[in-house]
Amino acid sequence: MKAAPVRVVTGPAIAGTAVGAADGYDDEAEIETPMDLAAVEASARAIIRNVETVIDGKHAAVKTALTVLLAEGHLLIEDVPGVGKTMLAKALAKSVHCTVSRIQFTPDLLPSDVTGVSVFNQFDRRFEFKPGAIFANIVIGDEINRASPKTQSALLECMEERQVTVDGSTYLLPPPFTVVATQNPIEMEGTYALPEAQRDRFMARISMGYPDKESELAMLDSRDTSSPLAGITAVVSGAQLRGMMTAARAVFASGAVKQYAVNLVRATREDRDLRLGASPRATLQLIRAAKAQAALNGREYVLPDDIDSLAVSVLGHRLVASTRVLGHHHQNATPLIDEIVTRIVDATPVPIGAQGRP
Amino acid sequence: MSRPGAATGRRRPIRPEWPVTGALLLLLVVANGGLASLLQGTTWWWLMALVSGTVLLGLAGLRRVGIAESLTSVAGFGILLATVTLLFGGGTGLLWLIPSPETIDRFGTLVDSGLESIRQQGTPADPVPGILLLLSAGAGVIAVMMHLLAITLRVPALAGLPALVPVAVPGLIVDGGADPLALSLTAISFLILLRVDVRVRRAWEVENPPAGPNTPRVYGPVRRRGPGPLWGSMVVGSIGVVGALLLSIATPAVPGGGFAGTRGVGMLLFARGVTPLINLGQDLRQTQSSPALHYRTTASQPPYLKLLTLDNFVGVTWMARVEPTDPDSNVEAIALPQGLSSNVATRETKTQIVIDSVATRWLPTPFAPKKVTGLVGDWYWDRSTSTIASANSITRGQQYTVTALELAPTAEQLRAAGTRYPASIRRTLDLPGNRPAIIDQTARNVTSGAISPYDAAVALQDYLRGSEFSYDTDAPVAEGYDGGGVDVVGKFLAVKRGYCVHFASAMAVMARSIGIPARIAIGYLPGSRSTSYIEGRDRFNVDAHDLHAWPELYFGGIGWVAFEPTPGRGTVPAYTRATDAQAPLGSLVTGLPSAAPRRADPGGGNPSLGLRAATTQTGDVDGARTVSAALAAVLILLMLPGGARALRRQGRRRRVRAGPGAAGWAWDELADTAVDHGTRVRDTETPRELVARLELLPGLDSPPAGDPVDALRRLLVAAERHRFGRPGADMPGEVSAGLAADLDQVTRAIHAGASWPVRIRAIVLPASLRRPSKVARNESLPVDA
Repeated sequence: MKAAPVRVVTGPAIAGTAVGAADGYDDEAEIETPMDLAAVEASARAIIRNVETVIDGKHAAVKTALTVLLAEGHLLIEDVPGVGKTMLAKALAKSVHCTVSRIQFTPDLLPSDVTGVSVFNQFDRRFEFKPGAIFANIVIGDEINRASPKTQSALLECMEERQVTVDGSTYLLPPPFTVVATQNPIEMEGTYALPEAQRDRFMARISMGYPDKESELAMLDSRDTSSPLAGITAVVSGAQLRGMMTAARAVFASGAVKQYAVNLVRATREDRDLRLGASPRATLQLIRAAKAQAALNGREYVLPDDIDSLAVSVLGHRLVASTRVLGHHHQNATPLIDEIVTRIVDATPVPIGAQGRP
Repeated sequence: MSRPGAATGRRRPIRPEWPVTGALLLLLVVANGGLASLLQGTTWWWLMALVSGTVLLGLAGLRRVGIAESLTSVAGFGILLATVTLLFGGGTGLLWLIPSPETIDRFGTLVDSGLESIRQQGTPADPVPGILLLLSAGAGVIAVMMHLLAITLRVPALAGLPALVPVAVPGLIVDGGADPLALSLTAISFLILLRVDVRVRRAWEVENPPAGPNTPRVYGPVRRRGPGPLWGSMVVGSIGVVGALLLSIATPAVPGGGFAGTRGVGMLLFARGVTPLINLGQDLRQTQSSPALHYRTTASQPPYLKLLTLDNFVGVTWMARVEPTDPDSNVEAIALPQGLSSNVATRETKTQIVIDSVATRWLPTPFAPKKVTGLVGDWYWDRSTSTIASANSITRGQQYTVTALELAPTAEQLRAAGTRYPASIRRTLDLPGNRPAIIDQTARNVTSGAISPYDAAVALQDYLRGSEFSYDTDAPVAEGYDGGGVDVVGKFLAVKRGYCVHFASAMAVMARSIGIPARIAIGYLPGSRSTSYIEGRDRFNVDAHDLHAWPELYFGGIGWVAFEPTPGRGTVPAYTRATDAQAPLGSLVTGLPSAAPRRADPGGGNPSLGLRAATTQTGDVDGARTVSAALAAVLILLMLPGGARALRRQGRRRRVRAGPGAAGWAWDELADTAVDHGTRVRDTETPRELVARLELLPGLDSPPAGDPVDALRRLLVAAERHRFGRPGADMPGEVSAGLAADLDQVTRAIHAGASWPVRIRAIVLPASLRRPSKVARNESLPVDA
């Protein structure tokens, strides 16, 4: 039996087509026009403010999520049920005027549900590609660890390649393309934990954490009756979002900052408390995320502070603690890993930036 | 620099110890050689080399085994203490190394005796154990400082400054100034040190490329502009050379003349084998005086008190002949003076002498001593010179009674003296062959009518006391001659102005030139009668200005006879006044000359400008000079850190104003100021994190906080933009000017907010000097570990 994936489509209707197809975007011409950094900062503020109308007291998580979005990475939200993971993903998606789809992962979800399938059109007497849920600008993958490994890997391949190949035809995914996946760390029954290699595809992992007392009280007042998501409207157009992304890519990362990122990542590989260090892809994504964060702050260059503040999110989910320190933490190593990353960040010297003068 | 192929793995930590330590040791032992003009022998040098070597090598070894940087200086002093205890503790230390209370006592005694000895001795001094202890400790301290500067702080250029101390000190004390040879050798060693350091740094840099062996290097040029080794070497070298030259110019010096080659022989009154003459001139121009000794005597006339005899004329100066002391020559029974026959009338006198402050190894006694009682220590007499000296004791505080023979030869006896001199006397006829013609010529002219050596001698004395000559302590120096050498005598005879040294020397040289054995005696004039009157005898006070030099001539059958050629000084001996109408021969016959003016009217000569030598008073002056030199050196050393920091600050402020890279310099200065004021600056934190902590400092925290905090944030943004921003997008000039003001405002606020001990430490001993340069600091950390 085929479980019906929940599919929510907002914005223009999606249309998966052959290679090169990227329709459904109204202002294609503006794709490569970088946005002014001040405007980026203003837009980012607008998005964050918008999201925060539904998520209270989680500024850092919201900001990191937006950073990942701007950096064209994928986000993994890992937390216990009911703290607003899906809410965050949805609010973020709704704040941007672009296509959003949502896949609820279940054990019987098939890869073709994700990627799409070719069906035989009896009228035309030819196969016709029906795009899957992945064909959207923002894909929310709920409880990704519930799906079977086969489905997981189909999704993850799409994430990395940004294209889908079905029956020998390759379909490009429309930029921007971001997967926001959530997973539940403590639920063991019927879940397939993402393997390290697949976790590596996500740019960052964030945890929501429980809201503090005031936020929880305020939430009771504001969301008792109606769904708060209903009040969210897009504050940034797709074109603007692409402009922001371009601007983020153009942010300058100095040699010293790159050096710092490399030193950090290398330190994770040599740390005795870690069995698996971060990959070169992690270095790349760390710099990308740092650039996006600098752009969010309206700064045209990356600071070591950007790297510092993102290190836990970007590196944490890629690392495996050694059994020596893991002890009985088999259930959830996340806090331990965060601690190790923080320690490495604290112990790694910040290079003296150098242009012409040490 | 990066060698991608060389998989050297982990970085090797920097190992500057051995080569740099070797260079430091070389520099230090060479610099110590500069003290050669102050000390006799070479023992002290070996000892200083041993101590400094132990300290430097020990520290390098400790560093090799990984001692904490902050502990090296403490460890250095520990090694020094252990070494000194081993060498000087006499086995009193625990395990011979750890000083016990007994050792401390022993050191105290040694240091006291060493300081005493420094006060008493002229140069070159005899390095007694006390002096050796002080020298060794000094060398050790310098070694520790050099290690601190060159290896711990990695500023080897500054390590030249402590090494300058042993080279510069002679310039403060002896006339010749710093030995040019020692100075040059020290400079060469210093350059070797810098070279070695540069080599070490380069080797290290090649083996440890800044970004690790497999990583492309992403730094810009890492060479630091500003005080590099070459710059430092030039500045310090110039300061050293110019400073030493200035110092040696500033001290009174013997100008050229015949003494060019005799540097170091000069000041040597009471050390053995040397002469006081050269130095006396400068002592004469000092006006302080203090009591040297006082005495009561039964003599008919207050006697000259002779200290030592200079009978060895080696051409350029007069020296005391060094005779081995004869342990049997007890002062209780002294033989008759050389050459004295029983024909000469003698009278035994007793003189009770109390030494007030003269400190020397030579005992002042009336001529000719027969017996000395009441002395403390071992004193020996020498027959040929009729002097009494001690090898292990000094005169200070002695009270003794001298039984002396008052000689009263008659003019006839003297005139009848033969000219066949025994071999031991004939050597006092030696004269250098290349003496100025004026000496022989004058001697011949003056003595042309003399019928005997005695008449010739009296003629010489009268000639020198004549109106042509005047007593003048300044002229010889002003005219460029001083001392007692043969050239000086020639010049003196032409200029006819000088003081007792010149008169005595001239008379002795001229006497020798006409075949009369002659030598110079050094001692005290009889002094002045005081009002105190005990046991029917006057008390005579002798002070330092009564030091005097006079010639003694030898007459067969009578022995050494004193003359007084110096006008206005002393008393003309009765036997030389035989030709004077005023001197009745009768008095000579009785051996009791009538009361001659005890002391000639000062006349043109200033009596207060008497001859003074390196006795206690001059010793005090020398001591004071040494102490002030040491104090100055200590002060300079104390000011070194603060001065270096101030220089660095000025340099950075200039660069901040200059524009390019202003933000980076401003940031460096800000970070160093924070370090100076006790804020730890970690290289693992970003500028932003540091600023967050700085904002909590009292100076920035408390109101009116607004402005400094804003300035701090502007500095931060500028520094970040400079360090991490796009190259070429630097700030315009007006921002730089603002930065300078911001920097001043913030550093002032930090300083003002600190407690006063912190402020003082920040000025005197800035902690930021301990931070290695930013590049080195960054690279030396195993960033990939």
